[in-house]
Amino acid sequence: MIERYRASAGIMLAPAVTLIGIFILLPMLLTVWLSFQDWSTQTPFASASFIGLDNFREIFGPTSIGRDFKGALANTAIYTALSVILILPLSVAFGLMVYQHDVAGGTALRTVLFSTYMVPMIAVALVWSKLYAPGEGPLNQMLGLLGIGPQPFLSSPRSALISIVFLNVWQQVGYFTVLAIAGLTQIPGSLYEAAKLDGANRFEQFRFITLPLMRRTLLFSAVIAIINAVQVFEPVALITQGGPVGSTNVLTYHIRRVGIERAQGGLGSAMAVMLMLSLIVVVCALFALANRKDRE
Amino acid sequence: MSARKLSGSSGLLPRRRPSGRKALLATLMLVVAVASAFPLVWMVLSSLKTPAESMQVPPVWIPGTPSLDAYEKVSGVVNVGRSMWNSLVIASITTAGILVTSMMAGYAFAKYHFRGRSLLFSVLIATMFLPPIVTLIPLYRLVGSIGLNASLAGIIVPNLANAFGIFLMRQFISGVPDDLIDAARMDGASELLILYKIVAPSVAPAIAALALFAFVYHWNSYLWPLTVLQGNADAYPIVISLSRLLSYNRGAMNTGLVMAGATLAVLPPLILFVLLQRFFVDSIVGSAIKG
Repeated sequence: MIERYRASAGIMLAPAVTLIGIFILLPMLLTVWLSFQDWSTQTPFASASFIGLDNFREIFGPTSIGRDFKGALANTAIYTALSVILILPLSVAFGLMVYQHDVAGGTALRTVLFSTYMVPMIAVALVWSKLYAPGEGPLNQMLGLLGIGPQPFLSSPRSALISIVFLNVWQQVGYFTVLAIAGLTQIPGSLYEAAKLDGANRFEQFRFITLPLMRRTLLFSAVIAIINAVQVFEPVALITQGGPVGSTNVLTYHIRRVGIERAQGGLGSAMAVMLMLSLIVVVCALFALANRKDRE
Repeated sequence: MSARKLSGSSGLLPRRRPSGRKALLATLMLVVAVASAFPLVWMVLSSLKTPAESMQVPPVWIPGTPSLDAYEKVSGVVNVGRSMWNSLVIASITTAGILVTSMMAGYAFAKYHFRGRSLLFSVLIATMFLPPIVTLIPLYRLVGSIGLNASLAGIIVPNLANAFGIFLMRQFISGVPDDLIDAARMDGASELLILYKIVAPSVAPAIAALALFAFVYHWNSYLWPLTVLQGNADAYPIVISLSRLLSYNRGAMNTGLVMAGATLAVLPPLILFVLLQRFFVDSIVGSAIKG
């Protein structure tokens, strides 16, 4: 490469690399370092003192710190799994509705579905906290019309977490629908023509053409859905504060409470490291699963 | 047989019993659209109700005499004008920064060959998958130690560059012909001038998409502003002011007020989306396929 462009490359990269280095990569390394330190968030980094694996022992230990963290980890896992299990099939179903040409209105449906993704999560949380009102709330009114008795939604530990999952699915499914449509457009129409000539019915076409050729799209969607799901914060911070009885205490909320509000920076960082490790394990497992299927 | 083939079916959902199947599909699509739109429609309708209507049991779905009283009242509870302005400042400056840094870095990754290019790119892209909570605690301390906490600058500065923008720009700038760039170099144009005059116009739709994404994302963003502002109400963006309406959220009487606040916060991103959704959708599709 000509010297001139080597200098240009440096200039072009400098702003982005400096900013991402200082405000994302450096804090990430600090999180890992702090997870081995006894450190209060209200003091300078220099005041941290090395304590080995004590933070990790504590967050997995039998005290209330350990119980709360393990609860948050389990809640986040359930929340994430339910979100992905609901979002992926719905996104494919809605994608097929938008993509087909038999009935008009596909594009309008896409617009309606995707518009919810633009709404600030705080507004979503406020609106749904009202819709979910127990007793005479709007959703209970509608369930009443269907002959279903009033549900406690966010006010019972049995239903609070799943109620937040529904709110999340409602907000995000439009985005994943657009991803699914992107995947559907990549499938050559000639495959369906050939299958029809071979006498494959609609279900068989879906099972043996659409689904296998959507695998890469679905893998991508699953990874994004998981990363999005572990970030759930606003509905918990605003409506439930982790309750009732810890049933909606999820990791993003819990880590912020420990690391910022209680200023236990070392403990909070150890929790953040565990979240990062869990994500890496889950995402790698997903890719391994997809690769094994590819070889079959 | 041939008539069916010519009927324009996508092949995805071939017709067998056309009328019954179409009716079912149309009904399903309507149900999905109504379910999806219902919460936001309910929000707007509720913001137009009087307090008496909000408390009525069974509930009134459509306000009898739509009134804007709730919008007036919400301005008395939180500083709506100031918060909307703060949100506009945060989202606009952050977006401008992201556009500049993403275009420059995207151009370098797309058009320069240098040692360590793919390694550097991979490291940057990996940060796209990092949930913000993982870096929140040290970032909070870091931003505090350079004196930016409790200010708009503290919200903006850490977000002036991101991996998604670099990724999107590299994808689209890769498609700009090298000949075009080389010709401009022959004419003695500087690299920054080439980026501004040649490359940027060629990828205008992608720039529009990135601008919209960044603006909406940072208009809606809550976790970081909440953490860094430490209760400095003068710098609250609208989403934080909105969260403070919660103390008025108990019971049905102030539903109208809370929904008026929510409607105000939702309008700017939603209007942008409706006007420019083509760019949003195209860029998601583009980045998903090419990625």
